[in-house]
Parts: sequence; structure tokens; C-alpha cells
Amino acid sequence: MKTIKLKKESVQLVKDVLKDIKASPDLGIYKCVQCGMCTSVCPGARQTDYDPRDMIRRVLEDDETVIDNDNIWNCFSCYTCNSVCPCGNNASEINQILRQMSIDKGEGMKKIVSFTAYGDSFMELGVGSIPSNFFDVMVKDIGPGYMDLKINIEDIRTDLGLGSYILPEKAIDEVESILDNSGFKDRLKKIKRCK
Amino acid sequence: MNQDSFKDISNKDLKIGVFLCRCGGNISDTVDMEKLRSSVDAEMVEEFENLCSINGRKIIRDSIIQKDLDRVVVAACSPITHEKTFQKYVNPLNPYLLEMANIREQCSWVNPDVETATEKAISLVNASIEKVKYAQPLDPVLRKTTKSAAVIGGGISGISASLSLARQGIKTCLIEEQPTIGGAMVKVGKLFSPEKLAEECAMCLLNPLVNEAVEHKNIRIMTNTTLKAAERRSGNFHLLIESKPRKVIEDRCISCGKCAEVCPVEVKDSWNEEMTFRKAIYKPFAQAVPDVYTIDLENCKNCGKCQEICRMNAIDLDMEGEVIPMTVGSVVIATGHKTFDMNKRPEYSYGHHEDIVTQMELARIMGVNGPTKGKLLKPSNNKIPERVVMVQCVGSRDEKPGGRKYCSKVCCMVAIKHANVIKQHYPNTDVIICYTDMRTPGMYEKYFKYAQSNGVRLIRGRPGEVAEKDGIFTVRLEDTLSREPLEIEADLVVLSTAMEPSDGTINVSGLLDVGLTEELFVKEKHSKIKPVATEVEGVYVCGTAQGPKDITDSIVQANAAAAKISELINGGVELEPFVASIDPSKCTLCKKCIDICKYKAAYIQDGILTVDPISCTGCGACIWECENNAIEIMGQTDEQIIATIDGMLKDKKPDENRIIAFLDSVGYVSADNIGINKITVPSSVRIIKIPSMNRIMPKHILHAFKMGADGIIMGEYPYNPMYSRTKEKIAGLKEVLVKNNINPDKLAFYKVYIPYFRGLANKFKEFDGEIKCLDTT
Repeated sequence: MKTIKLKKESVQLVKDVLKDIKASPDLGIYKCVQCGMCTSVCPGARQTDYDPRDMIRRVLEDDETVIDNDNIWNCFSCYTCNSVCPCGNNASEINQILRQMSIDKGEGMKKIVSFTAYGDSFMELGVGSIPSNFFDVMVKDIGPGYMDLKINIEDIRTDLGLGSYILPEKAIDEVESILDNSGFKDRLKKIKRCK
Repeated sequence: MNQDSFKDISNKDLKIGVFLCRCGGNISDTVDMEKLRSSVDAEMVEEFENLCSINGRKIIRDSIIQKDLDRVVVAACSPITHEKTFQKYVNPLNPYLLEMANIREQCSWVNPDVETATEKAISLVNASIEKVKYAQPLDPVLRKTTKSAAVIGGGISGISASLSLARQGIKTCLIEEQPTIGGAMVKVGKLFSPEKLAEECAMCLLNPLVNEAVEHKNIRIMTNTTLKAAERRSGNFHLLIESKPRKVIEDRCISCGKCAEVCPVEVKDSWNEEMTFRKAIYKPFAQAVPDVYTIDLENCKNCGKCQEICRMNAIDLDMEGEVIPMTVGSVVIATGHKTFDMNKRPEYSYGHHEDIVTQMELARIMGVNGPTKGKLLKPSNNKIPERVVMVQCVGSRDEKPGGRKYCSKVCCMVAIKHANVIKQHYPNTDVIICYTDMRTPGMYEKYFKYAQSNGVRLIRGRPGEVAEKDGIFTVRLEDTLSREPLEIEADLVVLSTAMEPSDGTINVSGLLDVGLTEELFVKEKHSKIKPVATEVEGVYVCGTAQGPKDITDSIVQANAAAAKISELINGGVELEPFVASIDPSKCTLCKKCIDICKYKAAYIQDGILTVDPISCTGCGACIWECENNAIEIMGQTDEQIIATIDGMLKDKKPDENRIIAFLDSVGYVSADNIGINKITVPSSVRIIKIPSMNRIMPKHILHAFKMGADGIIMGEYPYNPMYSRTKEKIAGLKEVLVKNNINPDKLAFYKVYIPYFRGLANKFKEFDGEIKCLDTT
């Protein structure tokens, strides 16, 4: 049985969440009435065991295991929960803060390894593009047309009267320099080591 | 007698008696009484123990008679505590020829150091002496209002208030915008009650009241009318009521309905929440009062068919509207509410499917005089629903844009009522209420339990979406108790929409200058001790115009409002005479003072600008507007303010700092609380009580600086109707200081609140510190 002890234990998690740089100044987590409206519209909750309402409850109850819970990685960041919340709370935002906490702890690193290819794309091309390791999934979701698009992209763009999407060498160097100096490159390396 | 005792002699020759109270050591332990006595210049200065005692009355009266005193200063506790006592003790002098110096709460209790406390006491007494020299004998204002009232809004609140007023012999005019009275109550059909499980019939309860109102000789019912303008005059209200032409002569119409039969125009019937049609000539419902037909001006095509068929010659298509002036003593705002606009919440698909309805629409469907004659049939196909799902808190408890942050208070009971009625008549229909919290306080809990025992299902979760496929609705929510996302299939969805202030509530409040809450309901003067009064004396509020509430509470408020009007009429009001006074020889009737006054206190009568002492608070905002110096505030004349400042700054030492703090009555009480709680404040602060910061003008501020003030504080309670002006004034005053080469930081403005006296004490300390820094730099 859980006991709420007379001697108050400091409730730290919700304070850490609110102090996070990502937290909006008017984030209404304390005003949550656990109505479940967020969960009712959440596509992640419909497909998986992710429950934004329950995630908020665990934060409010100082349950730090929520950070290590796999379910928080099932949020799509679609912000529908935020658009319906009657209390001015934002489950998506809190989810992202918790994920960052998980990443900082190290555990969450594994969850984002597969996304490092996006980082590589920035380094190599100066822009974000869907990495090749996702192509199979894209074909599964969209159909074989996806690969046609990928292969013939230059021709399709020319037909549509659009210019090349490849950045000039100089611009790519500049982007790379920014990513290097801002520590992005090191961070990427660190994450890749988790593989 | 009071008038006789005032001798017309110059201020210098006035004999002033100063009575110093030791207050059982409360004052004399900290203030050097001997030094105080010898430092004050007056005809008589004596110190006594406990002047407020009965013995004090004899001392003061005997001294006045023996020494032939013209004015009295009592230096003792706060005037809040004992001014009324000493006003009686100075008899045979006029009570307003007394001035008190607050040397306890604002001196001995906040300045423990004997030397500085004594210095401060001397200046407080000096200020009172200087001020009392300019005191005028005044009489308290006694006013009675006309024995008549206007009630705006003909719903259950307005009808109840009108009946109570009429029964007390007060002539009452009931003004209703719609062609019939009865408001929302006649539409809801069945009512829930605190004690009973049985639902009562709304029409059966309302009809006797409506009939009594129709028959009552003291009530005049005016339907199809709205308030167009309002003016406040000497405690009365001059109203302009605009009536829309009914185009049917009320006295002739026998309500046979032939006209509606031949009328070719069909429009949606708002009385049935637009679920049925009516004609352009119509009577909203069978029992409507007045029992006459009305032509809907927006939709009538003037074809004349109704005129041809009417045997009573009751139809007059050329009838024009009129504007009716009336004068009443009091006004009741009973303008009711409207329901939440569902266009703001498209996620519930309202308006896209006929079988997604509001609770009010469900009430009409289940009303015996509704579209289905009381049968629960789905609007789309006239079949009995298999499952009704009710969604609570639609637009209520909602911080999203357009939402209402408050709980609409009645929706839980309304949903349970409809669920119970459905279960009684259609036991095979499943009813599910999706809720966040069920709120059925007090006796209503019994009805809630009754619903549970009837098999009404309750699921805790707030639906985020209602979707439709092949005529079946899916209500999506999370069952927060079993912790799983849930989809409920339903064939009738009912939305419990929020109660919002009606347009009438907002318009009427604007015309009467009555304050509104953040949510635009009518603001009460005080939610506990003055629950049905508004900021305008003589205007009262009841029912849902004041906030969401049920019929029971609306009727209670309506009766309370009527009782308050009765108090005003029978008892009259005795008021302090500290109000604006006009010098007609200087007044040019420019009306600027009338325009600025939010209390509607100034008006022109028989070519003379007059001030209603009931409405006037003596705030002084009008003085700023008057270019001819025709206005004075009694008890706060320019001479009195200047004299008080002079007294406060008299004999200031070169190394001493003195700060003048002008505080309104709230700020003054807050400052007293600093003393009562024995919190030390800088001895530099000298407090002057002023009705409103609007009274303080550049000349007062400049005079204070000229006479040696080192800083000035102004403090006002922000929730008064003139506060917005005050803020503008402060900015103006600072500009004046800049123009006169005075650092504007030497003037500080604070919001004051009675309970936040510690905050005020801190402000005093901070400002004193800042002033010291300014002086050294």
C-alpha cells in the first residue's frame, strides 16, 4: 500500500519539469484535473499503451520511473492533446522534457540512435532528408512509388520547373561549421556510440 | 442648532481646543506627552486618560462651553475606531467641526522611538489643527428614493423580483425583450429540486406567478421592449424604454390563431431551439403571456393575408415602435444568460448531425409542448434512441480560447435530470454521462444517488471528439478510472453547454454603468455582505445575469434584491456629507463632470448642475474636468488639503525626511492594520486620508514639495470604478513634476488592499530608503 507520509517528501520531478528550458512559462501542469481529454484524442494512445494523462499524473506524483518508461517514446508530437486540454496543460511538451531527461540519464540515448542519420544528412547535405535506413518503412507505408520518387527526384523537379535541392559546397561547409562549433557533431558521435 | 453654532469669524481668531489622549499608555508610553503639549499652539491643549470613556464626553463638552471653543481636535486613536464617538462628544458643536489626529495606530504603534514618535505626533496634531480651521458645519445626508422600480428581464428572476416588489406596494415595471415573459424556465419543461426526487413541471410552477404578475395592480409588464438609455438623478433613474412594434393590437387580439394559419412565411422556431417551424406571425407557445400574437419584423413580407382574415381588426401593419420615458427609484438587472456557442468546439460535430443536440434542445424534445410532444425521438428519424451519451463541461471549466473558465454549476444536475426522465419513460435506452467531476452539492446528492439507482451509467473522462459513421456516433474519451482509451457508440449525443452572460446583460450593464466581472457577468458590490447590490447605488442584480445558477438560487436572489430595494425606499439612507458641491455662479453647464462620473452622480436639473449625494463618493475626478473651479468636495476642500499638508510639514528640521502618504479609505485602514500589528515603519511617513487619488491635483503635490516634503506616496484600492482614471492621473502628475524640475521618482503610486498591510509597510520602508538615496545623489 502506498502511504502519503505526514513528513512531507519534497516533490522534485514536477519542479524539474517546470524549470526545464523547454517548459512554457504558463504550462498548466498543476491545474490538471485528470479528465483524460488528452488521451481521448491521442493517436499514440490509440495504437500503444502510451497514456498522456497517466504520464502527467506520474509527474505530479513524483514517480520518476515515468522517465524510464518505454511508453513515453510513443508520442508523435502532434500536439492534439495540447489543442484540446481545458486546463492549459501541454502533454506533448512535458513528454519532450521527460524524453530529454531520459536522454540525459543515458537510457534515452538508445531511443534516438536510429535518428542520428538525420544528423548525418545535415552534415553531408546541409539539409534534413529522410535517411536511407527508413526507406523500407516508407515503401511499406506509402508503396513502391516512394522509391520511384527517390530515384527520379532530379527529373521530377526539372519537369516541375524546380531547381536543384542540393546546396552549394560553400553553404554545406558553413552549416557543418555551425554544427561543429555548437557541439552538435560531438553529441551525434556520443549518441552513435550507444549502438 | 448645528448651524447656529457656526460663527462667521476669520480662521485666525478661531478658538481651537486640542484634547490629547494617553490611551492607558498606548500613546503616552511612546509619545512624550509633555513635549507634545508644549509644542502645539492652540487656545487650549490638555491631556487626558481614555478620552473615549463617558467621562471624556463631560470633559470635552465642559471645555467647549467654558472656553467658548469653535473647533476641536482630538489626538487619540484612529478615526476609524472612534470618530463617531467624538463627533457625538463635541455636541453642542456641529459634529463636522471635529478633526482627529491618529497618534496611536499611525504613530505610537509604528514608531517605537520616543523622539521620532513625538516629532511625528506633533506634526499629526498640527495638521489636524490646520485642517479644522477650514471645517464647515455640515449635516449628514438623508435620502429617500421613489417608491418605484424597473426590473429588466422577464425570466423567473425578473418575475420573482417584480412580484416581491409589487406585494410590498412598490410600482414595478417589468421590461422584457421577447414577445412573452417566462425566459429560459418555460423552455426547460421539467425542473429538479433540492429536496424532491420527482421532477416538477416548470410551467405549472411558473403559471401562477405569471398570472399574479399580469393581474397585479403594481406591475406593468412591457414585452417586446429594451432599455435604450439610463440617467441617474437625485437617487432616481430616468430610463428610456424602446418598444418594437408588435403590429398586433394587444387589446383586440383574442389569440384565435387564424392569422398564423394563413401566413405564408415559415421560419425556424427559436422557442423550440430551431427544431421546428413557425409562421412570421406567431405566439411562442400556447400559454404565452401576454396571450397575443406578434409579427416577426425580420421575416414578415407584409402580404396582408393576416390582416384580411383577422375578424377582430387586431392587425396593424403600419404600427410603429415607440420610445417610452420613465422615472424609477431602483433598477433590478435580471437579464439572464445564453448558452455556449457550439461553433467554437467543432470537435463535437454539433451542427453536422441532427442527433447531436444540446441539453436545452433535449429539454425541448422532452417537453410536452415541444416538437415531439414530449416523446424522446431522435430528430433525424423520429426513432427512440438506443443509447444517449451526455458530454459534460462543454465550454465550461475550459481555458481554451473562447472557453469559460468557470463551472456552469447547473449542468451536472441538468444531465442527471434528463437521464432520470429518460430512464423513467424509456428503461431500455442506455444513458451514459461522461464527466470530469460530478457536482451535486447539498441536498442534490440525493438526486444523484437516485440516478445511479435508476441505472444511469457514469464514466469518468472528458471526451475529446465525437465522430460519426453510418448514422452511429463514436464518442472518444479515456475511462480515467480503468485507465484505458474508450470509444462509446451512441445514436443520440447530448452536449451540456456552458452558461454565458447574455447580450442583454452586457448591454444593460453598460447603459447603467454597472461593473462587470472578468467573465462579463454583473459584478456584485461584495459577494458576501452585499450580494445583490452593484457598484451603482440603487441598481441590483439577480439570477443568471450575476453568474451561473439554478432556478432555486435565482429566486432567492430575486427576493433579496426586492428586499434591498424595500430597505432603500422605507429606511432611506444616511450618508456622510463629503460629496461634491457646485457653485452655480461659476458653472457653465459644460457637462464635462457628468461625462466623467462613473457613479452617475452629476446631472442638470432646472438649468442647474446638481449632485446626487447618494451616488457621489467625493472622489474628486470631476474637479479635474471643471475649467471654472465650480466644484468643491465638502470636507476635502483645497484649503483643507493644503492646510493639512502645511501642518504635516510644519517645523521640519533640515536633516529630517518627511514623506506625505495620501491614502484612500482602504489604504488608510491598511495603514491602521500596520499599527494594530505593531509593525515598525519609517517615522518619515505622514498619512493623509483622501477619498480617492483623483482628488489630488498637481497644485497639492507641488505645494507639498514646496513646503519641504521629500517624497509623496499615493495609494488606492484598484477595484473601484474610477481606478482607470487614477492611473492616467498619476502619469500626468509625474509629467508635471518633470516640468517643475522635481525628480518624478519622488512620487510613488501603490495599489492598496486591506489584508496586505505588511506589503504596504514594506513599500513605506522601500520608498523611505529610495528617497534617502535620491537626496544623497
